[in-house]
Amino acid sequence: MSTARPKARHRRRTAVRAGVVVLAATALAACSSTGPATTDRTGIIIGRAMDVNSLDISRSLCDTCQIYNSAVYETVVRATPDGELEPLLAESWEANEDSTQFTFTLDPDAVFADGSPVEAKDVAWSWLRVQNLQGLPSYFMQGITGVEATDDRTVVVTSAAPNSAFLNITSASYMGVVNSDLAAENGATADADAASTDTAEQWFLENSAGSGQYVLDSYSEGSEIVLSANDSYWGEEPNFSSVTIKEVTDASAQLQQLQQGDIDLAMQISFDALDQIEGDSSLTTDVVPSYNFLYLALSPGVAGGEALQDVRVRDAIRMGIDYDSVIDATLAGNGERQSTGIPNGFEGSDDLPIPDFDPEGAKALLAEAGYPDGLTLDATYPTFSAYGVSSNTEMQSIQQSLAQIGVTLNLAPVDFSTWGEQIDSTGYPVTAIYFAPDHPDTVQYFQYFSLIDGSVWAGRARMPVNPEENSLVAAALAQSGDERTATYTELGQLMYDDAIILPIVNPKYILASSAELEGNNYDITRNLDLTRLTFAD
Amino acid sequence: MTITAGALPETGPFGGAGLPQTPLDDEKLPFRVRMRRFARPQIVVGAVVVLVWVGVIALAGVLAPHDPFASSGGRLLPPSAEHLFGTDSLGRDVFSRVLHGARLSLPIAVLAIVLSVAVGSVVGAVAGFFGGWVDAVLMRTADITMAFPSILLAMAVAAALGPGLTNAFLAIVAVWWPIYARLVRGQILSIKEREHVLAARAIGMSRTAILRKHVLPHSLTPVSVNATMDLGSIIILVASLSFLGLGALPPSPEWGAMITDGAANFYQWWIAAGPGIAMITVVLAVNFLGDGLRDVFDVKNRGR
Repeated sequence: MSTARPKARHRRRTAVRAGVVVLAATALAACSSTGPATTDRTGIIIGRAMDVNSLDISRSLCDTCQIYNSAVYETVVRATPDGELEPLLAESWEANEDSTQFTFTLDPDAVFADGSPVEAKDVAWSWLRVQNLQGLPSYFMQGITGVEATDDRTVVVTSAAPNSAFLNITSASYMGVVNSDLAAENGATADADAASTDTAEQWFLENSAGSGQYVLDSYSEGSEIVLSANDSYWGEEPNFSSVTIKEVTDASAQLQQLQQGDIDLAMQISFDALDQIEGDSSLTTDVVPSYNFLYLALSPGVAGGEALQDVRVRDAIRMGIDYDSVIDATLAGNGERQSTGIPNGFEGSDDLPIPDFDPEGAKALLAEAGYPDGLTLDATYPTFSAYGVSSNTEMQSIQQSLAQIGVTLNLAPVDFSTWGEQIDSTGYPVTAIYFAPDHPDTVQYFQYFSLIDGSVWAGRARMPVNPEENSLVAAALAQSGDERTATYTELGQLMYDDAIILPIVNPKYILASSAELEGNNYDITRNLDLTRLTFAD
Repeated sequence: MTITAGALPETGPFGGAGLPQTPLDDEKLPFRVRMRRFARPQIVVGAVVVLVWVGVIALAGVLAPHDPFASSGGRLLPPSAEHLFGTDSLGRDVFSRVLHGARLSLPIAVLAIVLSVAVGSVVGAVAGFFGGWVDAVLMRTADITMAFPSILLAMAVAAALGPGLTNAFLAIVAVWWPIYARLVRGQILSIKEREHVLAARAIGMSRTAILRKHVLPHSLTPVSVNATMDLGSIIILVASLSFLGLGALPPSPEWGAMITDGAANFYQWWIAAGPGIAMITVVLAVNFLGDGLRDVFDVKNRGR
């Protein structure tokens, strides 16, 4: 009996020793694969908290997806940093007088990574698939009634109603062109019943089928996406032999790994940590304005959100948020307030009302709505670190300020995949998430956030469509110039009045990378444009 | 070597002749003498620290200088006289949160242990006493549960139940009971062959009555020592689950959740250091206490 214990102890010690050896080996392996720069760096490692919902371009919708999609696929046109369009797969394009028909002529040199030419049928197939899969990016195809390849190089798109935004929309990374023969061989289809018959999502986790500078090498969820250069790329040679997007969940870990040289570029550093590295000559940092925003979304039609059906309650919540405190707590003050789901600086955003913290007014509104003693709401949100903001900090700060007007928020952070599944099935009465632009046209915000047919958030909030918004969006798409800007502003005001999407902050963005890198950027359609990024020397 | 000394070399605390053969048989000794065996530095230090924490739990509202949920001045302030452990990203006083956090972390760990012991003891006693297929079924269930690393299984259970301290608590009980089931079963197997049990059987006592009156009480000492030793692990497990987002929900000042907050502000080390220090002191203290008690009772039949 007395010998039993020492034996057990010995065993435990051996186990500990084995564990230490394994750890050390792992550490060594990690160092050798991702260690600090050797003299001849050709691969880049990007650290970010990933939010990938799918690597199937026609099903994906996420910030990381924008980087991935634009690295391995190409759109017909691309948006420059100024929001102008320039040729990519298409060498020319035109719209008819009333913006109901668009003709794209493809570059004859363009080839997919497998060497086959990029043809008009691939473009038509890819866009129809976006539409017919009815996935998250299908809103880009709203109102499109026909996509046809009239010959190998010509694609003609028709829209039932005028759609002056369509050319801008085609620059969105989700509208990239897929090698249709290859994808179809692996279960993809663009047929009308694609939503139920397409079986390629799994295949896309291991394969890419694009014409971009890179091809998918491997993807391991929660760990990394590895891209390698497309050897048969038809345009300018890619700047890197490989691109690794490494999952580094929190902002401080990103900063630490950047300092150690484990990653070359960190995408979500927090402002609280910024002054730690400002004197570090091995790193380059810059703070730029962004079109990103973080928002609270109220879903009156979801179980548990009944109180929110009264717009006064939603208004009160908007007035009960102490924006300055939240912006201080999350971004050390580096952000702006924003009116509604249109980021500051986008067409039509200029004259919209900016929300103000008014606890007394909020309490009065709540009392008027029948809640003199306040109310309790469940707020479920994904745990994320986006644009340097930790969702836990953001929501606790909002919870603190809403408590002052008698609104108790029960916070429940969940992981991203759970959130993604639940938000479109059972929904959440109150949630918080973020948005980065997909293309340079303001219409995306109405199509995504307003109460019109097909809008993502009208569906999630279980709100009836507002016919006025519907017709205004249609009107705007037939307009141009100042007239359209005015309509966009009018729509923005209606969205503000709906009080479904409550932007918390339009954050400034930190560009942080190793000093060896040049051209770090914030890109409207690509999030991070890899073609502008190079190793210096 | 005398017979008495040789017969009782290790069992009694004094190792002397004529002293009790089992730890529970010394009830005839005066209280003062019985207490003397507990006067070991480990036990004293452990007990004092644990008592201090019990005091904190009772008086957290009075001791905490600030509201643990509200901003109390600037954010991310380093430790100072005003804010002993500094403030966090929302300007909350970390020291006050640590004190209030003790009210969550410690009672939950104790409750989890108590419930695990209760469930495990019943299962172990039934298995050991009745034997046969009952034993086989119960013990295989326990074996299967113990085959998984406890943190992994607890994470899985907590994830399935959804976040929240209650669910984390249930998850811990779900992974911890088999330890006591096995321990108690081992005890029962040896105790049930003793003369006093055979005698009870001979006079026709029912099996449940024998189990309740003559068997279970004798297996309690090793269980309670083991429970004390496990308390530290449970405190860490509760905090781990919260750290991973499977336990306490924000803005709860549960220690693990506070360390998560600290991880988001890595360069403001004090946010995580406060709850970390608290956890170290309390876990060390209960481990001292557990080790000390084990030495006193010399329980060799640890169940794991």
